[in-house]
Amino acid sequence: MKILIIEDEKELVKVIKKFLEPEGFLCETASSYFEAEDSLSSYNYDIIILDLTLPGGNGLDLINLIKNTNKKAGLLIVSAKNSLDDKIRGLDMGADDYITKPFHLAELNSRIKSLARRRHFDGANELIFNEIKINTDSNEVFINGNILDLTRKEYEILLYFIVNRNKVITRESIAEHVWGDNISYADNFDFIYSHIKNIRKKIELKNGRNYLHNMYGIGYKFSER
Amino acid sequence: MRLLQKTNRAYFLISGTAFIIAGVVFFFVISFFFKDQLNEKLLHDIKNITRSIKRNGTIPNYYPFIDIREVPVQSERSSKIIDTLIFNEFERREILFRQISLIRVINGKEYFIAVRDTLIEEDDLLEVIAIVTGSVFILLLVCLYFINRKLSLKIWQPFYNTLDELKEFSHDKPGFKLSSKSELYEFAELNKTLELLTQKVISDYQSLKRFTEDASHEIQTPLAVIQSKLETLMQYPGLKKEQAELINSAYVYTLRISKLTQTLLLLTKIANDQFPEKSAINISELLSEKTKMFEDHILEKSLTLNNEIKKECILETNFFLAESLIINLIGNAVKHSITGGIINIKLDKKHLEISNPGKPLPIPASKLFDRFYKINKSSDSPGLGLAIVREICRLNKWEINYIYEDNLHKVIVNF
Repeated sequence: MKILIIEDEKELVKVIKKFLEPEGFLCETASSYFEAEDSLSSYNYDIIILDLTLPGGNGLDLINLIKNTNKKAGLLIVSAKNSLDDKIRGLDMGADDYITKPFHLAELNSRIKSLARRRHFDGANELIFNEIKINTDSNEVFINGNILDLTRKEYEILLYFIVNRNKVITRESIAEHVWGDNISYADNFDFIYSHIKNIRKKIELKNGRNYLHNMYGIGYKFSER
Repeated sequence: MRLLQKTNRAYFLISGTAFIIAGVVFFFVISFFFKDQLNEKLLHDIKNITRSIKRNGTIPNYYPFIDIREVPVQSERSSKIIDTLIFNEFERREILFRQISLIRVINGKEYFIAVRDTLIEEDDLLEVIAIVTGSVFILLLVCLYFINRKLSLKIWQPFYNTLDELKEFSHDKPGFKLSSKSELYEFAELNKTLELLTQKVISDYQSLKRFTEDASHEIQTPLAVIQSKLETLMQYPGLKKEQAELINSAYVYTLRISKLTQTLLLLTKIANDQFPEKSAINISELLSEKTKMFEDHILEKSLTLNNEIKKECILETNFFLAESLIINLIGNAVKHSITGGIINIKLDKKHLEISNPGKPLPIPASKLFDRFYKINKSSDSPGLGLAIVREICRLNKWEINYIYEDNLHKVIVNF
């Protein structure tokens, strides 16, 4: 799957690429308005990540070009926090999703994968990790074919883990993903622990293995180990 | 004291003193002049009488005005001027007369001649002068007062206009201009200076605002890079516990700065009224929805939520700001409530009241809404939540109050 990252901050592009490439994405980059114009007119992409604040022009103006040249591409816009107008206008102009900067890489990954799933319906609505299967259309989780009864938030957390499998996911990132960044009062993450505890317990009850590993107070990693 | 009062008072004092002095001078000048005239008249009378006696030989006698009698030879012949009291039969009182007396030899006989005329009595004169100057003084004062009033109303009008316009001045509204014009040099000069001053204030404010915005934006990018680099660093397999803790600590603090700059930027934007889009927001729905977002936090602290949300609260405001206000207030109540406490949320058409149980504030209540004022100094939160709430209320002209009663911290917003 081919991704175009339109972002002027080179260091940021580097880490995004490093994070996304092991996920099976082919990443190309454009660091200015003109480079982006060039790439968009020459190639086709599956997903485009567009930072709205670009040197040489407003990213919003690129949306029309994207809609002309890369009609099928999923478009994720990146805007500064608090600039609500850009966000709303971007979505109005045809962006599929938005993420505010600074973002967690895991969150970006989750958004991209969600876009990818929406773009490719051929079986992509199912995520499989060993004995765990998630149907993202019906929001159902199966362990060895048996349905796992999860609350909405438990489901979201588990999906977030599986999308970001083998990656260390920070507590802050989980809190923001599930509760929104307004709610994540950083003092206390106890409310996350109890959800994680419940997920582990429920998977165990269905004879699933525990893939959720604590990472020294940073957060968690969902992996076979 | 008003300027008019002050000038009137000065006028009164100065003209009063001037009139008193003028009255005294008047008195002396008039009485001197009058006596002088009287003397001349009396001397003239003596001349006439002498001539008449010489010619006719008859001695006129009009007591008390003319008093002539033959006297034995006298050595003393010089004239004497005296003031004397003589009883008047008609008025039945003594009246002051001026008398000039001398000894004259007419037709070989010695005569004592005294001519008299009434003197104006000094207290009468004083009285008349006092009445005249006093009434002129009062007349002058009245005139001055009205002239002053009319003039100052007219002259000072541009000044008051300027004052009114200045009261409307706000540093965050660009394009402030004084519309009141004056032909008077002083006021024109004042207006010019004020215009320069306000422009300076506005431009200073604008540049400060731009600086805050630019700084926040510029800080945000490196922070985003640091954050993502640290997230990448976390992915390396075989991290030791100590290393992971170091990374995590750097990460947590990076997030904190990031949050802080975002919040500051938000505060600046609210203060600058950069959320102009308004629509009818159903506060009741928004409140119920946002309360749900906190259910995990509420559960975690074993709190009980007591909602009394009436359905009809709809306000014309900015959605983002309304959301921000509600989240901050609920978040604050949840955060500062004692474990197992009851949080009350009440909403009707005009009021929002959120309360949580807790110990009394260790800081003055007036500081509660100030920026960076933390209840708990060691807290991770920068203490901007309530500052944001206050700014949002100020922008929407809502009134916000905090009270502490029955061990409850109550924040009340009056829409």
